[in-house]
Amino acid sequence: MIPQGYYWVNVLLLAIGTLAIRGSIIALSAKVKISDRLKELFTFIPAAILPAFVAPAVFFHKGAVDWVFGKERAVVLVLATILCVVTRSTLATIVFGLVALYLFTSF
Amino acid sequence: MLPIAPGIIPFGAVMGTVSADAHMSFFQTVSMNAIVFAGASQIAAVELMKYQAAIWVVVATGLIINLRFLLYSAALSPVVQQEPFAKKLFSAFCVTDQSYAVMSAKQDKFRTNHEAVEFYIGSCVCMLIVWHSSVMAGYVFGNFAPKSISLDYAIPLSFVALLIPTLKNHKYILVAIFSSVVSLLLNDLPYRTGLMATALLGIAVAYFLTRKKGDA
Repeated sequence: MIPQGYYWVNVLLLAIGTLAIRGSIIALSAKVKISDRLKELFTFIPAAILPAFVAPAVFFHKGAVDWVFGKERAVVLVLATILCVVTRSTLATIVFGLVALYLFTSF
Repeated sequence: MLPIAPGIIPFGAVMGTVSADAHMSFFQTVSMNAIVFAGASQIAAVELMKYQAAIWVVVATGLIINLRFLLYSAALSPVVQQEPFAKKLFSAFCVTDQSYAVMSAKQDKFRTNHEAVEFYIGSCVCMLIVWHSSVMAGYVFGNFAPKSISLDYAIPLSFVALLIPTLKNHKYILVAIFSSVVSLLLNDLPYRTGLMATALLGIAVAYFLTRKKGDA
């Protein structure tokens, strides 16, 4: 369970901060330009932060399937990643991953 | 708007499902959606709050994820300057990957800035409706889905689906691999601060990989 007070402090700060990011340049002026160098660095943010969520969550998860040493989540993730590279489909990646993990752990 | 809906609906459904999985109330889920309105950062925040991460970690992580909106906001800024405050505020609030994509795809078709804003606001309203309904649908599903389905696993899966299209060349792939390895090494840092450290190190690596000859 997420404690109520803790939840609302986080959500409110995140909401205010996000609106500040979205609105700052519009509020400032039409002339603010972001340098190409900074733009390029911004495009690396997903590559820098998303794997930091994914890797520990799947690798350190204690699974139930002995013959993959309880690492079924990591195995399915690799397969789902390959599927995602090929299909570029969010829906296919998520559905495949959930179904594959379900089948993996049920048999 | 229809072409981008397939990207939003599953993502909204994951957001709703993981909220239910984290035992968040319907009101908590809907209100977070309404005031933050930025899917990836919301899912990240729910995930971190489940582990009671430090507040500054939750907020800073979400804001780093949302930093890209600065670019979209800069692109939108000259278009909305002549509009009244309420429209400016609504336009700013609705800055998302999708609204930016739709706007820039149609950029040449508008005769005036005002026409562009009208179109933009229309597409934002569609986005809001699609997003909120898919999150609510996901929340309902999350509460009724059999316990044998590991709904929390939808988080890493949806992040993979977000990540893959951004890996445009080998430099991006290198940063992603670096970030995976470092996050495993730093996993034991308290309050999930390893996440923040990994992100900053990843950006630093990107900085070195992309520096031009002649830079210091």
